[in-house]
Amino acid sequence: MLAPKQMSRLLIVASRDRMAPVVAELYRHHLFHIEEFVEAGAVGYEGFKIGTPLSGAGEASVDLVKIRAIENATSIHGDDIDSAKICTSTELKSRIERELPLLEKEVVDLMVRRSLLDTKVKENEQKIAEIRPFLTVPVDLDLYRGYSGFNVFAGYVAREVKLSVPCEMSYSPGKDKNFIVIVAPAGERSEVERSLQEAAFQPVQIPEESGTPQARIDYYSGEISTMKTEFDEIIKKLEAVRTKHSGFLVACEEFLKAEVEQNEAPLRFATTKQTFVAEGWVPSDRVDAVTADLVKATEGKIYVTVLPIDFEHDSVPVEYNNPSFAKPTQVLMDVYSRPKYTELDPTLMVSIVFPIFFGLILGDVGYGLILLAMSLGLRKFLKGEDGRYLLTVLRNASISSIIFGLLFSEFLGFAIPGLQPILPSRHLMVEHGSHGPMIPDLLILSIWIGVLHISLGRILGIINHARQDHGEHRTKAMLANFGWLAVMWGVLIAIWSIAALPLMPNLTGLPPVVSIVNYGVVIGGVLAVLGILLIARDSVLEVVELPSIISHVLSYARIVAVGFSSVAIAMVVNFISIGMLIQPQLENFSIFSIIVIIAGLVVFLMGHALNTVLGIMGGGLHSIRLHYVEFFTKFYKGGGVKYVPFGMKRRFTED
Amino acid sequence: MAAELVTAVDVVMTVEQIKASQIGMKAIAAALAVGMTGIATGIAEMAIGTAAVGATAENKDTFGLVLLLTVIPETIVIFGLVVALLLLFV
Repeated sequence: MLAPKQMSRLLIVASRDRMAPVVAELYRHHLFHIEEFVEAGAVGYEGFKIGTPLSGAGEASVDLVKIRAIENATSIHGDDIDSAKICTSTELKSRIERELPLLEKEVVDLMVRRSLLDTKVKENEQKIAEIRPFLTVPVDLDLYRGYSGFNVFAGYVAREVKLSVPCEMSYSPGKDKNFIVIVAPAGERSEVERSLQEAAFQPVQIPEESGTPQARIDYYSGEISTMKTEFDEIIKKLEAVRTKHSGFLVACEEFLKAEVEQNEAPLRFATTKQTFVAEGWVPSDRVDAVTADLVKATEGKIYVTVLPIDFEHDSVPVEYNNPSFAKPTQVLMDVYSRPKYTELDPTLMVSIVFPIFFGLILGDVGYGLILLAMSLGLRKFLKGEDGRYLLTVLRNASISSIIFGLLFSEFLGFAIPGLQPILPSRHLMVEHGSHGPMIPDLLILSIWIGVLHISLGRILGIINHARQDHGEHRTKAMLANFGWLAVMWGVLIAIWSIAALPLMPNLTGLPPVVSIVNYGVVIGGVLAVLGILLIARDSVLEVVELPSIISHVLSYARIVAVGFSSVAIAMVVNFISIGMLIQPQLENFSIFSIIVIIAGLVVFLMGHALNTVLGIMGGGLHSIRLHYVEFFTKFYKGGGVKYVPFGMKRRFTED
Repeated sequence: MAAELVTAVDVVMTVEQIKASQIGMKAIAAALAVGMTGIATGIAEMAIGTAAVGATAENKDTFGLVLLLTVIPETIVIFGLVVALLLLFV
């Protein structure tokens, strides 16, 4: 909690003939984050070379490529398939040897046939396109060829051509282009060509066909339709392969991927002729288990030790360590940046505060229920881990939205009858007995949230600097963070002492020093000046950023503003659909009313659908933005390396 | 004499009219606050959005980050909205 999982740096040394069992054992544990060896002459690694893959790497890779090709052809994706243990590795190995070549041949044959048909269909379509212009000329296609004393011209012209030489001509005017065919004596060729050139002649190739153009087009169309039937059959066969073998194929892929990864692991180790050295990271609480199993697998012929961590130079991989309800929020953290190993991990705070902000913005029972249904319904379609996590975040947010909807007494923009809002009212319409919008209260509430959230950020900033920095810089940075706090609270105290505000402490009653300046103003002023001095001591340039205190705190007013925009849209939709369309028609009912009422219902549904989408965008984006921009900038840097343990989570195979 | 009196009443506004006119001014001010900040946000997001789409086209992983960068200028319109709400309801 609030800190990443503790890691230990593990050094493994053994002779090269023990490499295979060590790799297999590490892979099975799925805990060892390999620190890749680079041949750059690191101290202590002189003379070491990058290892070579284990035997069998080539065959497994070839098989993996085959499997992936089949999966591509039949569009199988492992993510779309529910995980189920299908068979053990030994079973799978024999099945791959037995079934894979046959399956590959079947799929490849189908694919070849499919692409062949595809080309043929295209060829025939091309031929039809070539014959089509000749449809207007009532002559068999073989009559266009084979003359020694005549020339045949066919093509498009811009206007009709008048020839002075004796000839046969067919002219068919079209919409954009006019088609012309001319048969003229060979001796008159140049004369004909000249006249045609004047009419902007574009020649068309005469098809090598015999028979009437219509008959040929019918023939080729028939061919295309038979080919399309065959094409559909192939698609059906591929579909059958997909349904029959998808489980086997994803299991194969997983098994072979594991093989290939294991075989290629030595490429990341440092080796000499006789030995190999692997360095990496293991969660501290699992070091003993991993060590014991490695010793067992190599019958004790191995040296495993924990190295000290050098925080200056080592980039320790970061694995989140959160209680299960905060886990889904890790997705939102990764979007920004993973925390560094030495940094506070704010995931837990985000997982609590994010839904609260979301609920404050979209506090509406109706929308909350819609989003809750959505987040539960979409679970069927999203099978990846990140997608699931996002849906859980949405679920938590929508539950919070329902709770705040009850507190605000809102249901799709209506007031919930008989339920007075507990929080300051957001109802824009003053209805009988209900309160109008309490804007000042709501704004001050949001300012309070901002002040507290930012103060928390600054306190975390002090802790982070205390943990990460050393020497003089550490003190200065910590005091600078305290300075920011002092300026903010100093200004607040001064404001409280000058003006009485709702929902805020009233310090105007303190004994005055000069005119309206009372002790509160003096204390506030002193705090603010002290704060500025502390900030300037760390970095003078930071003083320029002082106005950001006001802009960041005021930025939290978006909680109210965005919330209001959503209430306003809901209210407008309700007014147009019910107040303007449905209600008057119900009072004076006629046949025509039915159409208007249906239109009113459509407006109602579309309007609220739009507002739901805007609600997710507004509620989600603005809450997370308040975290990223206003909260994280106070203490959080991120940039940690993701912990990627060697191995995989097996979904379809057993080890 | 009577005609002059009528003209005088026409020119001088009644208290109700003055109140109504003030409400109208408030509404115009609120509309300007939201409208102009909206335009400003739009202009600011235009440049960021263009770059964001470019960045996402090159590397899809940046989507989350650039989406955030794109919504940063929304603060401007939100301040406008807050000002409008204060004008209308406080």
